[in-house]
Amino acid sequence: MEAGYPGTAANGAAADGNGGAQQAAAAPAIREQDRLMPIANVIRIMRRVLPAHAKISDDAKETIQECVSEYISFITGEANERCQREQRKTITAEDVLWAMSRLGFDDYVEPLGVYLHRYREFEGESRGVGVGVGAARGDHHHGHVGGMLKSRAQGSMVTHHDMQMHAAMYGGGAVPPPPHPPPHHHAFHQLMPPHHGQYAPPYDMYGGEHGMAAYYGGMYAPGSGGDGSGSSGSGGAGTPQTVNFEHQHPFGYK
Amino acid sequence: MRQARPYSAMFAGGVSARTGPHALPLARIKKIMKRSAGDSSVVDGGGGGGGGARMISGEAPVVFSKACELFIAELTRRAWAATLEGKRRTVHKEDVAAAVQNTDLFDFLVDVVTADLGDDHTDYK
Repeated sequence: MEAGYPGTAANGAAADGNGGAQQAAAAPAIREQDRLMPIANVIRIMRRVLPAHAKISDDAKETIQECVSEYISFITGEANERCQREQRKTITAEDVLWAMSRLGFDDYVEPLGVYLHRYREFEGESRGVGVGVGAARGDHHHGHVGGMLKSRAQGSMVTHHDMQMHAAMYGGGAVPPPPHPPPHHHAFHQLMPPHHGQYAPPYDMYGGEHGMAAYYGGMYAPGSGGDGSGSSGSGGAGTPQTVNFEHQHPFGYK
Repeated sequence: MRQARPYSAMFAGGVSARTGPHALPLARIKKIMKRSAGDSSVVDGGGGGGGGARMISGEAPVVFSKACELFIAELTRRAWAATLEGKRRTVHKEDVAAAVQNTDLFDFLVDVVTADLGDDHTDYK
């Protein structure tokens, strides 16, 4: 069984920026920001699926944050019950996938299975070539040094595979990348505050704009159509959308 | 250079620098999971003292990291549909509540989204 992720823990702590969310009465001892996902990450994901002109109110952002934590608790509770019935002490990834299927999130199970499979491959590769990849990162990305070796290696691996992902997208006959949307200062304004000066403004603006372009490209080329099996409550449209997520998979290498 | 821009965006956007390869921090997910599993005192991977201790595999938060992306995306799309019905371009809390009310899959969120809706005109029945 794998140990925790100390590097990720440090990153998670650094990402704390939430405030103002009400604290659950059931867990007064838990810090407020530990109860919710970081709002910057949530906003980034929301913006991927919204048109460029859409705006998101602060109360909607907070509500989505609450919903994500509730979702994790909901699925984990079901997985936990299964472990208790089978007298096991560890909640595994398979338990989580089983719980999702049982609770109606059938459409999620297949893309998550692919994701998990590639994550395991990634972990194996990362250990084998950590030193080399670390050096490569140093060569190509000045100004992004810092953190533990594992974190750097992971970052470099992601960078490497992201390049492969985009190369595969272009080489595979996918639609050409969409024209970059016109600058939306309001969007930048919303994206900037969560960083609080951790990155220079040009990087943030640049990343925000092209990040949207990259994701929109994936969205507008769903590929296969047709109807998928409908889970309770979700429509058939879920199937092509699921395909979109695979296109945006961070481990897009083959 | 055509390839470099989206690639640079992935890195400059902070995803790799802040949360590694995952869009959401694994440590935060694990904390929420531990609270739901009913045990927040056991160190992951360490020896569990009591029989009732619940440990969480290192891969479970990884699966949740992606699952929450799918969940946020689906909930956001449905909320945006409600925003469009109102001829607006700003997603509000009420749009999220409408999305939850209209989707059986999200029944478990009803209490979350209606906790602070005191106005009568936002009562979706």
